[in-house]
Amino acid sequence: MMTESNDSKRIALYEAVKMTAFIAGLFSLIVVGVLVVSFLEVKLIEPIRTEKLELLKIKLLDEPGNEQMLSDIRQLDLKIRNERVGRNSFSRSGYLLLLAGIAVFLISVKSAMVLKKSLPHPEVGGDQQAAQIRSSKLARFATVIVMVVLAACVFYFAAKKKVDFAQAVASYPSAEEIAKNWPSFRGPSGSGVSAYTNIPEKWDGKTSEGVSWKSPVDLPGHNSPIVWGDKIFVIGADRNKRRVYCFDAFTGELLWSRDVEVSPAKKFEAEEDTGYAAPTAATDGKRICAIFPAGDIVCFDFEGNQLWRKDLGLPDSMYGYSSSLAVYQNLFIVQYDHGYVDDNKSMMIALDSFSGQIVWQTKRPVSSSWTSPIVADVNGMSQLITCGDPWVIAYDPANGRQLWRADCLGTDVAPSPIYAGGFIFAIQPYGEMFAIKPDGSGDVTNTHIAWKANDSGPDICSPVSDGEFIFALQTQGDLTCYKVSDGTKLWEKDLETSLTASPSIVGDRLYLLSEKGVMFIADIAGEYKQVGKNEMGEKCYATPAFVDGRIYIRTTKNLYCIGKSN
Amino acid sequence: MIRSARIILFIAVSLICCSVVSGIERFPPPDFEESDHKLPTIDSITDVTARGMAYEYLDVAVLLIALSVSSYLVLKKRSRRAIFSLMIFSLVYFGFYRKGCICPIGAIQNLVLSIFDSNYVIPITAVAFFVLPLVFTLFFGRTFCAAVCPLGAIQDIVLMRAVSVPKWLESSLRLFAYLYLASAVLFAATGSAFIICRYDPFISFFRITGHLDILILGACFLVVGMFIGRPYCRFLCPYSIILRQFSRLSKFKATITPDECIKCRLCEDACPFGAIDTPTVEWPAASYRRSKRVLGLLIAALPILVVAGAWAGSAVSSSWSRANVTVRLAERIYQENQGMATETTDASNAFRATGQSTRELYDQADAIRNKFDYGARLLGAFIGLIAGLKLIRPSIRKKRTDFEANRAGCVSCGRCYEFCPREHVRLEKLKGKI
Repeated sequence: MMTESNDSKRIALYEAVKMTAFIAGLFSLIVVGVLVVSFLEVKLIEPIRTEKLELLKIKLLDEPGNEQMLSDIRQLDLKIRNERVGRNSFSRSGYLLLLAGIAVFLISVKSAMVLKKSLPHPEVGGDQQAAQIRSSKLARFATVIVMVVLAACVFYFAAKKKVDFAQAVASYPSAEEIAKNWPSFRGPSGSGVSAYTNIPEKWDGKTSEGVSWKSPVDLPGHNSPIVWGDKIFVIGADRNKRRVYCFDAFTGELLWSRDVEVSPAKKFEAEEDTGYAAPTAATDGKRICAIFPAGDIVCFDFEGNQLWRKDLGLPDSMYGYSSSLAVYQNLFIVQYDHGYVDDNKSMMIALDSFSGQIVWQTKRPVSSSWTSPIVADVNGMSQLITCGDPWVIAYDPANGRQLWRADCLGTDVAPSPIYAGGFIFAIQPYGEMFAIKPDGSGDVTNTHIAWKANDSGPDICSPVSDGEFIFALQTQGDLTCYKVSDGTKLWEKDLETSLTASPSIVGDRLYLLSEKGVMFIADIAGEYKQVGKNEMGEKCYATPAFVDGRIYIRTTKNLYCIGKSN
Repeated sequence: MIRSARIILFIAVSLICCSVVSGIERFPPPDFEESDHKLPTIDSITDVTARGMAYEYLDVAVLLIALSVSSYLVLKKRSRRAIFSLMIFSLVYFGFYRKGCICPIGAIQNLVLSIFDSNYVIPITAVAFFVLPLVFTLFFGRTFCAAVCPLGAIQDIVLMRAVSVPKWLESSLRLFAYLYLASAVLFAATGSAFIICRYDPFISFFRITGHLDILILGACFLVVGMFIGRPYCRFLCPYSIILRQFSRLSKFKATITPDECIKCRLCEDACPFGAIDTPTVEWPAASYRRSKRVLGLLIAALPILVVAGAWAGSAVSSSWSRANVTVRLAERIYQENQGMATETTDASNAFRATGQSTRELYDQADAIRNKFDYGARLLGAFIGLIAGLKLIRPSIRKKRTDFEANRAGCVSCGRCYEFCPREHVRLEKLKGKI
């Protein structure tokens, strides 16, 4: 009786735990279902809302003052966050319920198993010997199968292409490649010295004698052409339009032109002398970067695809921003001098050429300037040389760290520095020219200024030097030659014309382009001796570019190629 | 009818509970505009202190105590119920409360990294977590697996109706565990990833959050674990490989019978993990001769397998090196610079913003790849060796007359005790009935 009673209790208990297990399992499945539905809701709805938010944010960039849009963005953002927090809490609670359900399920099932446990019944008979022999064979066979599976995985991974970094093309051009091209204002290192000596000395722009081609540039600009390989780039702009042009360097064919959007808030009246496209672009051999006086900087690849764009803000520059870009390895370097010293606005900015990311930026204690920075190889190390009011400052172009500085300049600095004969030359307009030894550290004002020339220095044109002589050209046409080693004035010449393009050296020839479009070519050995005079027939303000056998001259209306076409 | 009504009623109540829960959670959401909610200040952020070192030492103490108690329960008390209770405690403490970290399985990587990276200082608690279970295993068998490891515990409690996995299959599948261990060591040594932690299938359950793929992986393991006992422990756990070797050397270990085996065969199917070795029988002489020939061939082939494994390791090293963040970045930068990728990533943008030269990055990536190549060759050779030994193993005869718990494979869970008549005799003696 007792045994029958125990058995019936056992059976009843077993049925009860079985039912509990079933219900707990069902409950758990329902909770899982609800959590899955909630998860799918998040996956389907949230991306739509998030995308809507992102689109609104992009629209806001074009209408920064739109308060309604700003309010919509805030409300939508708050809504998304609230829902996200709510869903996270919901999921957590659901999980805890699920945990409880599963725990009850497991306990019930285990209890049922204990109640239903039967005695062990080992199998009778069977050929153990055969079973063990078969088992050992199967063990080897199974191991071989696993090895085959692993081998298949090996082939899968081995088939994936390996990146060979040794084959990687450098992300920036070598010094040799740069020397063969004209990648920035006044060429490699901003020296104005041509690497080629096979440059034409005779042509006539009016009759097209010696002119390889001539292509119209419909928007004006004082910026110089830059050349890389078979491409030549110039910038044009007026109050409403900004455009980057790419021409075939050999045929003059316009390959592409791209307009750069002008924000209504950034339209301004430029000084007539400066214009809307004074800064010269720069290229690293794969990308061309241009900066406009309103602070927009834009980068295209050589096919004309815009890669990135940055807005540095409208500069506070009296005559209009005109500093050209410099290039160092994979960096485009901007000398962003504006305002007064006390405003603390001026800075050097280095942008990654690939992405436009700011790699470094360094504040500098100078007022507005109109010079362009140069990157010079000084005793095997690169220095980024800049002129401003009142400092000549050298930086490490890789990180913007200041190397040395000299207090020697005054207001309205426009001529850019050069490095020649072991000196850095900087000019104070209407004032002195300084030769500074670049091997110092910190403030070298009292220790490293080797000499200074007290004549009235050029106001706009940058100097040029072959390492032995240095030439300074004033806008009104006064050309002066000094000895690089000690600043001895050797001769003066009045060209009796206006020149704003900086002088250039080709071999032992000096090339001087006047505003009237006349190229004076002079022998620089000894006294001034004119050996050529060629007319373009149009006004010229931009400094020419010199590459293998060719000169590229930008007039007010056209771009000329002087020399052979290939 | 009544039963159906109860079921329907319960489902309705469940749905109401779920909807109420969801309703509660939707009301009220945080209202930053209308409430006086203040953004946290710097002070309030720094006031939230991290879990102190004292608690880390407490965890080590709890581990030590749990291992000691587990060893006692397995070897002396021989109580499955007590072992199960301790297992639940370990699951709650080391699993849900400590969120599965730090665990002895993951500590392998910490130890390896500290050996190969002089800049990494391994916490003493991580060393303790790695060493203590090994020490106990060396003396008392796999008592860590019995009732202390939370991963084993969570698999153990979901086991419902165990399906027997043939020993020949289990042995070959265990090759994946060796591969996992070797891979974890390689990735940790190169500072690339802690893959044991990354792919811990049960971490999402312990932390109530995690990647969906890991959650699904864990769920799959648990579902499989309902029918195949402890699948992660038996076929994947890298720490179990080390424990198995230590366990072979242990002086004391779990035994099915408390004294002598009477060969009653009642325990034959007692183990859901296939860890009971049955007595061996004599083979025909022809089988022995054939087996010896195969053994000779396999021993001769062993060096070939090792070399083949080393070659295979070298072949995959380049792909595997992509687990390293520097190699991945270098490859991405390479693709972008070569024009093979049109868009940039956050990582590549961040790199470019540093101004570091790409040649430097490529050189760093190449150096890491070389390390990977060397390590992968060793890994491949090791796997080749293990595979060769697994091929050789069936040819080696071990005479056995009793039913024994496998020295390496037995996780000391204590399930087999109640199947042994001698155990029942011992219990009756303890109660004083005999």
